[in-house]
Amino acid sequence: MAWVTWRQHRSQGLGALGLLVALAVAAVLTHLPIGSAFDRDSLSACVPPAARTGCDLIVPHFEGQFGGLVTATRFLALLPLLAGVFVGAPLIARELEFGTYRFAWTQGVSRRRWLLSKTALLAAGIVVAAGVASLVVMWWRSPFDALEGRIGPNGFDVEGIVVPAYALFALALGVLAGLVFRRTVAAMTATLVAFAATRFLVSDFVRPHFMAPLHRVIAATAAGGAPGDWVLSNTLVDAGGRRITAGREDLAVLHAQQAGIDPHTYILTLGWRRVISYQPAGRFWTFQLLEAGLYAGLAVALVVVALWLVRRTPA
Amino acid sequence: MSTPPLVAQGLGKRFRRDWALRDLTLSIPKGAVVGLAGPNAAGKSTLLSLAAGMLAPSAGSISVLGGDPLASPEVLGEVGYVAQGAPLYRSFRVADTIEYARHTNSRWDREIAVELLTRIDSRAKVGTLSAGERARLALALALGKRPRLVLLDEPFASLDPLAARELLQLLMDGVAELGATVIVASHVVADIQRVCDHIVLLSSGCVRLEGDVEELLESHRLLTGPRRPLGAIRGVREVVRERYSGRQLTLLAITDGPIVDPSWTVDPVSLEELLLAYMAPERLPTPPTPERVPLRWHG
Amino acid sequence: MIEFHLDPQSGVATYLQIVRQVKDALRLGTLDVGDQLPTVREVVADLAVNPNTVAKAYRDLEREGLVVAQQGRGTFIANTLAPASLQHHAELRAELERWLASALRAGLDEESIRALISTTLREHQARRVA
Repeated sequence: MAWVTWRQHRSQGLGALGLLVALAVAAVLTHLPIGSAFDRDSLSACVPPAARTGCDLIVPHFEGQFGGLVTATRFLALLPLLAGVFVGAPLIARELEFGTYRFAWTQGVSRRRWLLSKTALLAAGIVVAAGVASLVVMWWRSPFDALEGRIGPNGFDVEGIVVPAYALFALALGVLAGLVFRRTVAAMTATLVAFAATRFLVSDFVRPHFMAPLHRVIAATAAGGAPGDWVLSNTLVDAGGRRITAGREDLAVLHAQQAGIDPHTYILTLGWRRVISYQPAGRFWTFQLLEAGLYAGLAVALVVVALWLVRRTPA
Repeated sequence: MSTPPLVAQGLGKRFRRDWALRDLTLSIPKGAVVGLAGPNAAGKSTLLSLAAGMLAPSAGSISVLGGDPLASPEVLGEVGYVAQGAPLYRSFRVADTIEYARHTNSRWDREIAVELLTRIDSRAKVGTLSAGERARLALALALGKRPRLVLLDEPFASLDPLAARELLQLLMDGVAELGATVIVASHVVADIQRVCDHIVLLSSGCVRLEGDVEELLESHRLLTGPRRPLGAIRGVREVVRERYSGRQLTLLAITDGPIVDPSWTVDPVSLEELLLAYMAPERLPTPPTPERVPLRWHG
Repeated sequence: MIEFHLDPQSGVATYLQIVRQVKDALRLGTLDVGDQLPTVREVVADLAVNPNTVAKAYRDLEREGLVVAQQGRGTFIANTLAPASLQHHAELRAELERWLASALRAGLDEESIRALISTTLREHQARRVA
């Protein structure tokens, strides 16, 4: 089955290779100004826990300078989806759509072995490709990771071991969608929708609770959490611990302005404080392991369902 | 080994609410060249798909070379199946397709496959081949695994007479070398009557006629005579079909002895004529009564 | 070597046609003792007929003592048909020529003659079977 898998997915493999090369070239080219700016402004001295005077100005300036690029790299989180849409979905859907399953499944290889071998071999290739992409991104993001941490949404989804896990999940999703919908385009669409929905749900509702968030109480007028942490919520509370709505805050500021007092000082005298709920930077690899495990587990479950279902197709 | 290559017991297959095959009981003799005849939508493709492990039965059972085609890949390795339209990967080259079959079948004989592919460029893409060449390629792939059972679903459809004849020659040559049993489904009797020694006639999912061709032709006669009310005729066991035209009456009958009544002209019947008679709507299945139990001829 | 041909419309079983063609060749002298018949595969590849049919024809001929099958080498003619048949052959031919002359005088053309012979032969065979 190794030859068969290679021959049938050869163009996909070459496409993936091309994509990785393009990614690497783009990374190198776009990193040149970043690296030189980092060195020129001696930003290495601003990497926490070090802090020298002027860092609170240079660092935001640096991040603002390259903010667009950083946001753009967040779109690389879509790369794993390609494994599902272009490799997984057509795998079975194409055979069913064009009737070639009547040839492929009547040779001396059972359907299950055909599906398992193909999926396993493709999964191996995809893990390698996704791993390489992840390493490229990690290299590219190293200055930003140093300054702002990687556990936040800018870095978490495109670095580390979750990237291959997302790709495996997408592949498994595509394969099952192909089996269920039996048409390539429908399978591709279903894969896209299911992948996006799952990723959104997990990253917004599950990931924050992988471990109980930590809390920190700081002065109402201070800035947010420590650099590198992933801030989940940042709320003003009054002396009694009740959350202060935006309306109440505006009212206080207005009151202060009418009385001619500095709003910040006024808020402090009211006894209000800021409560930060966050995940510390140090939990990055734990969270990576948990999320990668979750997606890999889902991938395995989907493949098991596919192996069960393939026996009953076309029924 | 005396396991019959294909045995069906009360086999039924339903798609949503329609039964494509119902209560089919059949046993194919080893080494026969079987013609699976019948009109379109008779259930021929469904039967072959079940035999090739493409579908699961809804009722009853089917056993191929002694095994379950759906569950065991060993059976698949011994069955050469060419589906309707000879589906193949169009973007593959001919050589790639052969490689594919070589890698997925434990018993692969390159010589057999190559013999069928003379005059076809091995570097040509499958999508550019003519219908006849594609049919030959599909046959080459099926025979190259040295099967014990060959299943062909409408292999001559969309082939010109020359290509069809060539395919038949190659098929028969392959069968002679392998000693395989063959089942060819075709709705055009003429394509297969040249080579079949066993016939299975399907219509609306049921077996209408089944048996050794020679025996069937020996036991059926066409009786022509003046139109008259019919009583029992000496030598006639059962009348299969009656036809009237003007003053003439033609009967297709199963005989069990010589027809001595001189008012009847007795002629042999062609296979095509015989199949048409058994396909006639008047012979739609009714609950079997003892007199109307369908004949079974086991060669 | 003899080359067989098949007439699928004749209503005569394939294996009988092969047997008959071998016998005709023996009578006409185109096949002699020691000549090899085409192998089953050669006949099958040429005519596109069932190999069982050819095998059956060769078996029938072997049973009648006209051919002998030698393992791994082929099927060979073992006996010719009795020379006496050649004489009958000559008498029948003469009779046939006289009949043909009458038929032509009666105004039948070649087509009609063939049709007449064909129909009469078929009816004759059917009556023999029935």
